[in-house]
Amino acid sequence: MAATDIVRPMALSTQDKAAALAGVPLFAGISAESMERLAAVAGEQEFAAGQFIVRQGQVGTGLYVVLSGSVKVLRGSDVIARLGKGEFFGELSVIDQQPRNASVEAAESTSVLALASWDLLALLESDPQLSLNMIKGLVMRVRQAGEKLGH
Amino acid sequence: MAELDQRPFPPGDYPVVVVGSGPGGLQTSYFLKRLGIEHAVISADPSPGGMFRHFPFFQRLLSWTKPYAPVPRDDRWYQWYDWNSLLADEPGARAIMPTLMDGTSSFPSRPEMEANLAAFVEQAGLAVRYDCRWEATRRDGERFVLSTPDGEYRCQAAIFAVGIAEPYLPDTPGFELVSHYVDTRAAATYAGKRLFIVGKENSGFELATGLLQWAQRIVLASPRPAKLSVNTHSLLGVRARYVLPFEDQNLGGGVFILNASIERIERAPGGFRVHCIRSENGAELSVEADEVIAATGFKCPLRDLPDLGVAVFGRSGLPAMTNYYESATVPGIYFAGTIGQGVAGMKKYGLPANSGAVHGARYNARTMVHHLARTHFGVELPRPEVKPDALVDLLLSEATRAPELWNQKSYLARAFSLDSGSGIRDEGVVPLAQFVDEEGPAAVAIAVETDDLGDIHPALYVREVGRPAVETLLASNPLHDFRSVENRAQLTSLLSGATAGAVR
Amino acid sequence: MAMTAQELVDMLSSLTLFADLTRPQLEQVAHKMTEESFPVGQRILRQGFTGTGFYVILDGEVAVKIDGEERARLAKGDFFGEMSILLGEPPVADIVTTRQLHVLHLGGPDLEGFLRDHPQVMYRMLKAVALRLRNASRWRS
Repeated sequence: MAATDIVRPMALSTQDKAAALAGVPLFAGISAESMERLAAVAGEQEFAAGQFIVRQGQVGTGLYVVLSGSVKVLRGSDVIARLGKGEFFGELSVIDQQPRNASVEAAESTSVLALASWDLLALLESDPQLSLNMIKGLVMRVRQAGEKLGH
Repeated sequence: MAELDQRPFPPGDYPVVVVGSGPGGLQTSYFLKRLGIEHAVISADPSPGGMFRHFPFFQRLLSWTKPYAPVPRDDRWYQWYDWNSLLADEPGARAIMPTLMDGTSSFPSRPEMEANLAAFVEQAGLAVRYDCRWEATRRDGERFVLSTPDGEYRCQAAIFAVGIAEPYLPDTPGFELVSHYVDTRAAATYAGKRLFIVGKENSGFELATGLLQWAQRIVLASPRPAKLSVNTHSLLGVRARYVLPFEDQNLGGGVFILNASIERIERAPGGFRVHCIRSENGAELSVEADEVIAATGFKCPLRDLPDLGVAVFGRSGLPAMTNYYESATVPGIYFAGTIGQGVAGMKKYGLPANSGAVHGARYNARTMVHHLARTHFGVELPRPEVKPDALVDLLLSEATRAPELWNQKSYLARAFSLDSGSGIRDEGVVPLAQFVDEEGPAAVAIAVETDDLGDIHPALYVREVGRPAVETLLASNPLHDFRSVENRAQLTSLLSGATAGAVR
Repeated sequence: MAMTAQELVDMLSSLTLFADLTRPQLEQVAHKMTEESFPVGQRILRQGFTGTGFYVILDGEVAVKIDGEERARLAKGDFFGEMSILLGEPPVADIVTTRQLHVLHLGGPDLEGFLRDHPQVMYRMLKAVALRLRNASRWRS
């Protein structure tokens, strides 16, 4: 099945979404306004095991946060990382507008929250806490990448 | 005129020339003398004291000298309680400051400090050629030549302890119209005035505090929000003594503390108009004032040293230096006193050392002179042997009480080498950044550090041959006595490997 | 190099990290951060040490070294120290001066507040960190 970057309307109510988002470290400490806006613009998507969520080489149009289940990050056919509930992916392409540097595949039945790049950029601009959380997330990945490199 | 000049140090050739007779110059001269290194001291001033001959303007220092301390005054440990006396080995020249204070405050007055420095010159048997201004510098082969109206001084090494003493005014339009902190007049002359103070460092708040009862309104402005020392857990920021203007502002009593950059200052009827831009929102604000005082700091009066190749940096024009206060670009040119704050060190958690104050600079002067003595004059400093079973107690004792470590946290450390040939040797007090970065024999060093939560604790640095130093933080103690069973056990285990080679 | 306040602001405006700031904002940055100078061969960040600061290079050059092995060089406009501050962990690399270094320094505990106060700087930092991650991922593959 082809990967989809199309956000389907969510089954969850805005309130339910806000509750699901509250536990995600990326959104920790962001303002109530940001959270409300996020819940309004973000959409939920379901993937079956083995389905691609993003494909390496494509230009990214969104950021994804795992709400339930887990995903595999693939470079070619190598699994370079596994991400679970609360973790995010797809941010690099949004920030630098470059093609995706890895593919992401659902490892099991997985539900993700999808945030379109323009919505993410607008939120990053309006809420410094979100930017700070994002930088921290990226910095941690840089360090993990470095550690893998060193070993 | 045939008047006989009885001043010491006539122009001529000296191994070392020290310029300046403030605390930095005097302390440097003292240590040179102790090591028997011949030198001349010249000063543009007519008497000792440097900046303390005139400042602080409101006549009360910011550095404590506690007359009643838990240790005797002739003890080395007392230096932690007395930040204003210069260091000496001779009993008569030590801890002079507390003997000259009138009991009003544990912060000496300016005249008391000036007397303290004059007494030190007397007691330590120092000599200075006063009224002899260093005017120009040049090289002559291997030597430096310092010109003065009295004649030329030639030397192998020159040490400049000239302070950060030259008023600094920003190059923003209109600053040429206003007065600097140094030009502040008697407080009563500000009665009923609308005062605008540019700068929110201690000098600005010193004026605001002193003029609080005189001025009808005081505005303090600079781009950065003021920090308070009680919040930074250090001497960084506005000191507790000057907090009164904050309270006044919070109550709406006529003090306004603004975060704003000054765009320009112009004359207005009866005074000045200061055009500002608020840092928070970029909004324009113009404030009328009868008086504007620039408490914008000072720069180094280094004269023509940059032409000689001395690299300088920053708005204060501080020289770029090594960890031993030698010019990074012109070997043989050294600095002492407040200029030493140009050597940042590790600045853990952003906390600076106290090199800009007497209680830090006096130890820096010693590490600098010892380095100069070793490298320029082949002086061998004593490196007493330490018994292996005494090392742990010695390290914890130093961490608990050593004034060098407490006054210069994360900056100066007490080091011991663990060379397999010569056993454990006391290397004295060393710059920590130098110790952890230089190649050398196996060694350990102990420092005292403050973290971001204000916790004060010892830190041990272990350096093995050919490997970078490893940091280990030791446990603190509510009463700052680090000689605990826990720390002893941890040190013993940390050192067991490191000292094995040295003790065989 | 010695610079007047205005010259420093001019220089900051030319650095990518500060490219989106207005002049009064640049002046505030110049006041919040302190200028420091380090001689050749000194480490500015040290592997495994606590209490790191944040540094922006104004002039000079440093080498990034991991376990003594050089990985990269940084020069004017580059910044370092933010990784260990934001992670609350000691650096995993040494930063060693290879040319006399002139930097702006901000104490570690002040970094988050500084970035919040200057979202434009944060966004530039985000982009720089993203680029770093992309490069790190590239090495990894």
